Amino acid sequence: MVALAEAAGIVLAGGRSSRMGRPKAALEWHGSTLLRRTTALLSRTVDGPVLVVAAPGQDLPELPPGVEVVADPVEGQGPMRGLATGLAALGERAPAAFVCSTDLPFLHPALVRRVLRGFADPGVDVVLPVARGYRQPLAAGYRTSLAALVEKLLGEGDLRPGMLFRHCEVVQLDDAALLADPDLARLDPDLDSLVNVNEPDDYAAALARPEPDVVVERFGALASGGQRGPRTVRAASLGAVAAAVGIALDRHVVAAVNGDQMTRDPSLPLVPGDAVAFLSADAGG
Amino acid sequence: MPAGGYFGRALVVDVADSGATSAPLPLDDAVLRAYLGGVGLGTWLLHRLGRAGADPLGADAPLAFVFSPLVGTPLTTSAKFAVVAKSPLTGLLTDALASSRFAIAGKLTGNDAIVVRGRAAELSVLLVDGDGARLEPAPELTGLPAARTEDAVRERFGRGWQTAAIGPAGERGVRYATISHDGRHAGRGGLGAVLGAKNIKAVLVRSATRVDVADQAAVLAAAKDLRARSFGPATAKYRELGTLANLLAFNAVSTLPTRNFTEVTFEGAPRLAAEELHELRGVARNSCASCSIGCEHIYSRKGGGSQRMEYENVFALGPLCGVSDPDDVFAASARCDELGLDTISAGGTVAWAMECAERGLIDAPWLRFGDGPALLRALDMIGSREPGLGELLAQGSRRAAEVVGGGSIDFAPQVKGMELPGYEPRTLQAMALGLAVNARGADHNRSGAYEADLSGEHDRLNGGAAQVVAAIGTEDRAAVMDSMILCKFLRGVFDDPFTEWAALLRPVTGWDVDADELRATARRIVLAKRVFNQREGATAADDTLPRRMLETPLRLGSGRVAALTADRLGAMVAGYYAQRGLDERGRASREAEGALLLEGHTTENSPHGT
Repeated sequence: MVALAEAAGIVLAGGRSSRMGRPKAALEWHGSTLLRRTTALLSRTVDGPVLVVAAPGQDLPELPPGVEVVADPVEGQGPMRGLATGLAALGERAPAAFVCSTDLPFLHPALVRRVLRGFADPGVDVVLPVARGYRQPLAAGYRTSLAALVEKLLGEGDLRPGMLFRHCEVVQLDDAALLADPDLARLDPDLDSLVNVNEPDDYAAALARPEPDVVVERFGALASGGQRGPRTVRAASLGAVAAAVGIALDRHVVAAVNGDQMTRDPSLPLVPGDAVAFLSADAGG
Repeated sequence: MPAGGYFGRALVVDVADSGATSAPLPLDDAVLRAYLGGVGLGTWLLHRLGRAGADPLGADAPLAFVFSPLVGTPLTTSAKFAVVAKSPLTGLLTDALASSRFAIAGKLTGNDAIVVRGRAAELSVLLVDGDGARLEPAPELTGLPAARTEDAVRERFGRGWQTAAIGPAGERGVRYATISHDGRHAGRGGLGAVLGAKNIKAVLVRSATRVDVADQAAVLAAAKDLRARSFGPATAKYRELGTLANLLAFNAVSTLPTRNFTEVTFEGAPRLAAEELHELRGVARNSCASCSIGCEHIYSRKGGGSQRMEYENVFALGPLCGVSDPDDVFAASARCDELGLDTISAGGTVAWAMECAERGLIDAPWLRFGDGPALLRALDMIGSREPGLGELLAQGSRRAAEVVGGGSIDFAPQVKGMELPGYEPRTLQAMALGLAVNARGADHNRSGAYEADLSGEHDRLNGGAAQVVAAIGTEDRAAVMDSMILCKFLRGVFDDPFTEWAALLRPVTGWDVDADELRATARRIVLAKRVFNQREGATAADDTLPRRMLETPLRLGSGRVAALTADRLGAMVAGYYAQRGLDERGRASREAEGALLLEGHTTENSPHGT
């Protein structure tokens, strides 16, 4: 079984963005960029490495600390090329990875976790959502050991993911199968995780959506002056939620999202259902 | 002439059937500069005066009250003293700090430390002032709580004396009994049992002299500046809510040990939170002498009276035992104060016993997680060392687990025999290392590595090389703060700690001490503790955590799993050894030992020499 603690994340950022007309990786997203949001979201979900696969010579926006960048050796071979490069770069460091494109502005950790749980069966090579009317090979799980097979298929001129799926064990997850997961059903009932933005109108529509509802609570000295207890605000990033409740993310303050890592990174992406705790950095007793 | 802030001597008091005799032990400038005071100087004294392999509850075991160069100056939070001895709980070095007027009066007896050895014929009090030491029989104090003892000796000897006393648990040799002064405990490691084994109920000190500093005007200026800084945001938490502010915050970040470390969040945490209690029950705020922070928060108790509450006693007697009723936790904390019990070890040991009872490993069906009255009953049994369960639990969780067996050592919440404080090692993995390698055992005051975990600058779920560096840094800073001595609640006000601490020491002592020298001092103190423990038989096998922490992952609210494996901890411990200049077994080299100014003592007692 692949535990989340072992799984990796791979973001394929090398697409040409021809329909968008400008690089999707660098599109602004609530004070950050789409690529930074996607990589940061994977970083807060998996414990293994998070990789960005870029096109040769591609300029990337700033990435969160710890995210690795690998470059495709050749350009123009599509996502299969990026998949091969990313899986090979993982090597022995992770048995499987959630692999996605950079343009999933509503990707939710609950979907990533659900997909990766598909590797509970050791015989499964690919966990493939088939939802919202499409196969979703760029929001899917791949076993790292597929790297050689993908490379071989590329060498034979097979550039489509569909060819890969003919040669390995694929578990497909339709809408119902995905939403049978209670966390995913609660946190992303419309499977917006799989919404991608290909054209300027898609992007504009995505940006126009309300920011996610998150629950924020202040603790200790930060809660004095009648600021105790949880409250709900709309915010897409830690910086936005701090601003919404009047907290400066200085060295005396840290935050944790859902009881996980401590951070004061204002660009940390938030998703629906997140609970943000702000507390004094001067812990001790 | 000694350096400013010092008298250049310790008073070594031998008590015996015939009374007390005392003699000064000269402390030369090199030793004082190398170890400063507090836990540093106490460690050196234990090396010098303690026999290797001695029974910590034996007559010849020394117990040292150690002051510091800053005591008596107007520097905020400097009125603190260390108590240092070989621990009956761990069999290794233990050092604990307490505060307030005992520190000032003790130092102004004209001594940088007061060391007590021997055993009195009957329960007595030891009085030390400018004329030396004398022993007064005090059988009437038998069984009194420390606070009432302080009242009684004040009545008997007058108000000029300051008192450090033990409660009934110390008299009866409970291995985690405390010594306390004015309601504040030198809590960890069973120092109260060491004093009790000497048949000494209390040590009374009275000022007899003054101590000079090198540059009075500069000290006053530094004190004014430090006091102003002590009112800033770095101490806001302590002023406004006290350490109990940790409870709800730690619950929110999955690091509140619950039901003997089986969970990291506690559903009853809101009832015990400082935020809640402050509104409903807060009655007063208090501070130690010479302190401008005022971290002590006093709450009203149901049925009358009040109780000072800190994070560690609420954690240990609340979530760790599954108890959520604040009145039960207040009562248990008050009971520990009355008995003179370390709340962390008491709570940890009872929580372990609750789990044993629920698993059928011990025959105490009444002892269940969440049962406040059962917790109180267990504490009373411990304090009186009631035959059976009370006697068993009075030994601490490690010894008790060795008796009970059944794999219960795997979930005994201890390192080196000392019960874990309220920081979950699996979700605070720099702290996991700090807890594993610290000389005192599982301890949050000599290793504050949780600072790194909670800083937002490290992956707290994935300990590695960065956490090793961080843990060593906090251990070094603690070594200096606990030796010079300043309260750690001030630590956040220092931007460049070693440089700023050197700047405080210079006008007090007259030394040209700088940051690099203090860093070396820190390393020396940490190493001296480790060498003491090696002398007493500690090995690398002691630098670990209970199996539960290494084999049972925790699931967080985020969906991620917090796992700390033996391999990961082992790699961090190996990194710690390497960076501390120790060999792969965690041992110091002869050369390093030779630089500890132990004057041949370690050669005589060291395993190297036998």
